[in-house]
Amino acid sequence: MATQDVRLPDIGEGVTEGELIKWLVKEGDSVSADQPIAEVMTDKATVEVPTPYAGTVKSFKYSEGDMIPIETVMLVLDASGGGAEKSSSKKESKSEAPPAQAAQSAPAARTSQAPVTAAPAPQGGGMDVYPPASEIHVLATPATRRLAREMNVDINQIQGSGLAGRVTREDVMSKQSPSSSGVNAGVTAKANIPRPAYKGVGGDLEERVSMRGIRKKIAENMQMSKHVIPHFTLMEEARADELMKLRSQAKSAGEKYGVKVTYMPFIMKALIATCREFPMFNASIDDAAQEIVYKKYFNLGFAADTPNGLMVPVIKNADQKTLLEVSKDINELGAKARDGKLALEEMKGATITVTNIGSVGGLYATPIINHPEVAIFGMYKIQERPIFVGDQVKKAHFMNFTITCDHRLIDGAVAANFMKAFVSRIENPSHLMLDMI
Amino acid sequence: MTKSFDVCVIGAGPGGYVAAIRSAQLGLKTVIVEKEYLGGVCLNVGCIPSKAMITAAHFLHRLEHQAPEMGIEISGKPKLNMKKLVTWKQSVCDKMSGGVSQLLKGNQVEVVFGEAEFKDSKTLKVVGKNVDDLIQAKNFIIATGSRPIEIPGFKIDEKEVLSSTGALALDEVPKKLVVIGGGYIGLEISSYLQKLGSEVTILEAMPTLLKGVADADCVQVVARKLKKSGVQVHLNAKAKSYKATGKSFEVTYELDGKSEKLKADKILLTVGRKPNSDQMGLKKIGLKIDERGFIETNSQKRTNLPNIFAIGDIAGQPMLAHKASHEGVLVAEVIGGQNRAYDAKTVPAVIFVDPEIASAGWMEDEAKANGHSELKIGKFPFGANGRAVSMMEAEGFVKIIADAKTHIVLGVHIVGPEASNLISEAALAIEMGARLEDLALTIHPHPTLGETMMEAAEATLGHAIHMIQKPLGGASKSTGSTSTAARVH
Repeated sequence: MATQDVRLPDIGEGVTEGELIKWLVKEGDSVSADQPIAEVMTDKATVEVPTPYAGTVKSFKYSEGDMIPIETVMLVLDASGGGAEKSSSKKESKSEAPPAQAAQSAPAARTSQAPVTAAPAPQGGGMDVYPPASEIHVLATPATRRLAREMNVDINQIQGSGLAGRVTREDVMSKQSPSSSGVNAGVTAKANIPRPAYKGVGGDLEERVSMRGIRKKIAENMQMSKHVIPHFTLMEEARADELMKLRSQAKSAGEKYGVKVTYMPFIMKALIATCREFPMFNASIDDAAQEIVYKKYFNLGFAADTPNGLMVPVIKNADQKTLLEVSKDINELGAKARDGKLALEEMKGATITVTNIGSVGGLYATPIINHPEVAIFGMYKIQERPIFVGDQVKKAHFMNFTITCDHRLIDGAVAANFMKAFVSRIENPSHLMLDMI
Repeated sequence: MTKSFDVCVIGAGPGGYVAAIRSAQLGLKTVIVEKEYLGGVCLNVGCIPSKAMITAAHFLHRLEHQAPEMGIEISGKPKLNMKKLVTWKQSVCDKMSGGVSQLLKGNQVEVVFGEAEFKDSKTLKVVGKNVDDLIQAKNFIIATGSRPIEIPGFKIDEKEVLSSTGALALDEVPKKLVVIGGGYIGLEISSYLQKLGSEVTILEAMPTLLKGVADADCVQVVARKLKKSGVQVHLNAKAKSYKATGKSFEVTYELDGKSEKLKADKILLTVGRKPNSDQMGLKKIGLKIDERGFIETNSQKRTNLPNIFAIGDIAGQPMLAHKASHEGVLVAEVIGGQNRAYDAKTVPAVIFVDPEIASAGWMEDEAKANGHSELKIGKFPFGANGRAVSMMEAEGFVKIIADAKTHIVLGVHIVGPEASNLISEAALAIEMGARLEDLALTIHPHPTLGETMMEAAEATLGHAIHMIQKPLGGASKSTGSTSTAARVH
């Protein structure tokens, strides 16, 4: 009986390795083609890896907890009888399932179904190519373009050091090796950060765990954002009594559809409406081109606390969805985030992010912007507070909000005006009707 | 019989056979399915035979018109034996097609002749003379090309109304030829049939020939020469219908709102080509096809069905053989597990009219549309090039478009002798991101036509040697756009 190597496929943009979390099959199990065989965590997400072949599990090449580079053999199958598969060379396994697709079809299958679009199957994202093809304005010789591709470097993101911005071989090489000094590291590149050692006391008093997977990615992202973006945070409170009434009505209405309606979708809708007045909040800075990019679409990221760490699922085109649909997305994506089942697609492309630390605690926080976005919006716990109405002390409910901005693009006064416009929507939620599409 | 392969290529044109060979080179078990002939339209009824005819016609033309001036005296008029010419042309095609056959065999690619139809996205049914196969493959490459478009009132029967295929098969020169469509195929065939003795009239619906396909300055040179040689060109003329009148035909067309008539012995219809995406059950298996009939692909030429790729004419513009070949290699390597994507900056284009037109990169408006607001544009005429003059082929010029600030070459447009062979240097320059100085400072051998590329770069910089450029003394700061040519030697 012939054997068949199963390799870890290319599991997403820029991903070079993954940590084997769990085998989903045992030695001796018979598996069918496309059956998930392992859970692998990359710096972006945890994905289920399917086998492109049918057969019987013969041996594992890695144990749980190991890092597996992509394209290496992770498991060997005894090819099932049937006579269909003539399996021999390693070429065979490559030609069987072009690497990009095998991986992407898996997360695609899990994408939460969009309510409108028809044919969901084919468009799942299998058409993405990484690195993307070199754009027409990129100045680089054909050989350099190919070098970048083979090194898995997106040449469009490199600021060339040559004449007129020409990308040289050296530019490409220096992108790859982490030891290189960032001679021409544009700010689009990963920030070149010092790595001071920590000499601990050692022994049983400390435990060392390698920084990898999602934790490593979080660290990189945070450091990158703080490195590139001059942050400032503006804090404000808003009376929430009207919003509470509205939400409680919506909550019981939502139950009829089996959807739990929280405060988050209201905040999101008010945020989108306010961003329409202040487009610089739904934008990015293209540092390489020295241009501001205003976005005419709204993909709202929301920070989710998960056992693996912070994840930011994204509600695509949130401006075009109803409150109920946004609620549903929040519930579904939040659940997936907690279960570590988010597809890469579901964490990409946010234009602005909301963080709801308040659901845990804390009066205010100063969140870090999810680069390349330029703002992150914080919402906090609703609290009862006494207020003066005339000379009378009355009970009122207040909710705290923060807007943390990229000061390169957003001035303090603009942020204050933004917050004012936002608060007026929260205090008079009926005005949200005026923003409805 | 059911057969299994790693790769099944459908269509053995310049896209398909190249994809098959590279697949085989990468150790993939490969089959190629072809319904008619190895080499496809290109080698059999397109690029290659038309070049044979063009060469012969040009030869005849030179014997008639240029030989006497060079002192070569021929008693009587050179006589054309069209049947012999067609035989020779066919021998050229057979040689090239035979070469493809050998290459496929030598690389152990299995060749299956027959009509193909997808049963599902993993199975192809092929029916031919001695073939009734089911082919199962892990990857399919669709390279089935395109075919001529027809217009109302004219149905291609290859007897009265010809496509390029029928025109290339003619074994008699038609006395009066009406050509509908002044694109590059129509013009190439018009030029050679005119030289072989036809009276040619071209009906073009657009206000210029080669609209949007070639640089307007280049087209002007060709249009002038066509006119001088006696080819009638009617622009803004819409062909409506035709009818038989005795042995010949009468073509009705509309010009400026008036109905006009023309006599013709043959009608050539060359109004464009359309992708063959309506065949082989491609829609049935769920392939995404755009509104112009092209199969949609990503930058790896992968379709929405991940095991199916599409290359060449059927996968989008430009419909050119060399683009198809480039994509063929690319797809084979993607299937072979290599990371590849289509990122060529330019697909050079060549039109074998008289004189030849060739281009690489952008035209002026395209360069502007792509963010190069200030351009440097320079021209150098073949009339000032010793080799061109000594070949008695001194019409035309090399025109270079560069970014005014960076001097990076954005487009090169050539009309003139051997433009087709000269353009590759320009394509390399553009792919390399060369600057005008790179072209100007590369020593080009003398006396060759290639010197015009160097001089055109110099002219764009404002200081070509073999041409007087004003302002005098302004070599370093001249914009290079105003210039008068002078013949030297």
